[in-house]
Amino acid sequence: MEQPKKVADRYLKQEILGQGTYGVVFKATDTKTGETVAIKKIRLGKHKEGVNITALREIKMLKELKHPHIILLIDAFPHKENLHLVFEFMETDLEGVIRDSNVFLSPADIKSYLLMTLKGLAYCHEKWVLHRDMKPNNLLIGPDGQLKLADFGLARIFGTPDRKFTHQVFARWYRAPELLFGAKQYGAAVDVWAAGCVFAELLLRRPFLQGNSDIDQLSKIFAAFGTPNADQWPDVKNLPDYVEYQFVPAPSLRSLFPSVSEDALDLLSKMFTYDPKARISVKQALEHRYFTSAPSPTDPAKLPKPLRKQDSKASHGKHEGTKVVSPPHKIRRVMPERGKADSIKSHVDKDQQAPMSLDFTVLAERPPNRPTITSADRSHLKRKLDLDF
Amino acid sequence: MADFQTSTQRAKWIFTPQKLAERYKASNHRAVQLLEKCGTTQVEVDASGSLTYPIEKADAGGDQGDKKLKPLSVDEERFMRAFYEAKVQEVCSAFEFPHKIQATALQYFKRFYLQWSVMQHHPKEIMLTCVYAACKIEENHVSAEEIGKGIKQDHHVILKYEMAVLQSLEFDLIVYAPYRAIEGFVNNMEEFLQAREDEIQKLESLLKAATAEADKVMLTDAPLLFPPGQLALAALRLANGVLGVVDFDRYLENIVSQPNSEHTTSEFIKLLDDIENLVKNYKYPSEKDMKHINRKLKSCLGHSSSHDESKKREKRSKHKSHRSSSDTPKGAPIS
Repeated sequence: MEQPKKVADRYLKQEILGQGTYGVVFKATDTKTGETVAIKKIRLGKHKEGVNITALREIKMLKELKHPHIILLIDAFPHKENLHLVFEFMETDLEGVIRDSNVFLSPADIKSYLLMTLKGLAYCHEKWVLHRDMKPNNLLIGPDGQLKLADFGLARIFGTPDRKFTHQVFARWYRAPELLFGAKQYGAAVDVWAAGCVFAELLLRRPFLQGNSDIDQLSKIFAAFGTPNADQWPDVKNLPDYVEYQFVPAPSLRSLFPSVSEDALDLLSKMFTYDPKARISVKQALEHRYFTSAPSPTDPAKLPKPLRKQDSKASHGKHEGTKVVSPPHKIRRVMPERGKADSIKSHVDKDQQAPMSLDFTVLAERPPNRPTITSADRSHLKRKLDLDF
Repeated sequence: MADFQTSTQRAKWIFTPQKLAERYKASNHRAVQLLEKCGTTQVEVDASGSLTYPIEKADAGGDQGDKKLKPLSVDEERFMRAFYEAKVQEVCSAFEFPHKIQATALQYFKRFYLQWSVMQHHPKEIMLTCVYAACKIEENHVSAEEIGKGIKQDHHVILKYEMAVLQSLEFDLIVYAPYRAIEGFVNNMEEFLQAREDEIQKLESLLKAATAEADKVMLTDAPLLFPPGQLALAALRLANGVLGVVDFDRYLENIVSQPNSEHTTSEFIKLLDDIENLVKNYKYPSEKDMKHINRKLKSCLGHSSSHDESKKREKRSKHKSHRSSSDTPKGAPIS
């Protein structure tokens, strides 16, 4: 057996969990505490602009944010040309839960996941931090079922009057309409919209508003909620990129979510309010009757989880329910790399159906792409992010 | 981030005067020991944050012929820092950066030299790196090249030191300055006075004067000793002493009467007196002091004073027979 490598005299390196845009994430044991951790390794390289700004944002925020529903940053240190960020180890993420058709989510389970999401977000907003990249893939789930907000690389401190921000934030499907119209001054409401999208995704088991361009994203939003009129959103006409859209009437929200409770529907409609000023705040959302009415949210420890690779073997039957599978680079998060072991296995038992967590890069047909901030966007961000004030 | 109460600043970077004096003494002592053992104090740094300490020399114990190297004293180090802290403000004003960035850079600089002696890392290079890092963290990004160009300094130095500085700051990068708090108090005074038009104008001049006073407070040890709210009040009281806009004692009583106040009025007055005294006793080195200290510093760092910048670098690279310590990730000595 290979001798495990110790990093920085403290962390016993284990398997690689994923490959990211800036580097590798690997699993390790913290010899100081005996805990399992995930270490994000960020290449330092010979950058003209020094230490990676996204990594610095993440560090500076997470050093100050300590909450049961925020990912815990344990340590940060440079080591051999890499910056290492040590996080608590998380088993999976909400995207993994949503897309696993073996997982049945009861209304109480959904309520529990949303509750934890909003609690983490409320804490951020209380500390005047905008997350700006809320999506299921950034909501990690620990071995105890606790959900935690992660990836603070786009997070910003807000609250300074008149401070202008870039609107190029969030993965497109989670982007609030004011951002799509180019708003440069915005607040906590952008995170609420995104959290609404996560809520809807939990209910529908597929991304709710899947636009394939910014314009198309707006069309998808209008198709769902109708084109906003001046009564609903008086300021919309003043937004930088505002263009008038052909009028589309709003279908009833009930028709989009036929089987959900009245309370859930009411909360959804408040999280998807057009006017950011009128949109429900996270704090108000937590006080919404949805959270106090029956059923009460599932105890996190009892929430259903996606089948683990090892366990899934026995139960492999037909798996065709996958609606969305992330492109392989999405496996960079602080979680086990799904698929790696499976793809090996699938070569062995050829007659078996491909497990659903298979890495689809090996197939010619690519699964639909879940948009993130693309690398082009990212470089644009690097140059432009929040310089325009 | 608007919660000082739960901040790393409050938890880790505010000291008692005794503790602070100890820290300065300890970092001076480490450099003195290096000098004794190795005949030089310069710690080399590279862009990935790894540090290279000078190697021990058998004959470094003082028997250097007739030119025995003298380390800087704790007070001389303080002068050196004071000189470059003033430079931080100069550089930031030259770029017209907001006060917040200047304050962040100063905090970084102060925190860095709790871990290190100026004899180990030259304060000029650290000063520039702190300004650069402050811009980056405060989301007011200016490239290292621009900063270097603006003040005719080599920007590679900045990039070289960035990681070492971040690491010495223990990656606690969000810092609180008194400026926001000053604005808050002035707003609050408006209510307190139920200010009319003319008084509002006076409050505006108070805000301006207090901001200038806060700049002075930032040059003392006060930011390492007091929370930003108290620094803000001290700056306001100093400014109000000149302008006489509000009855300050009554205003303090008003603050103390708030339900969440932790202090009595007399405690408050004592704290503000302490801060004011720091400002009054602030010493900036004379040109003569600096000449002397600079000469000493250069010899400690292993450069002779007659060399210009480029030669200095050449010489430093000749001295590179250093022990590598790149496998110690936490390079900063633990105090």
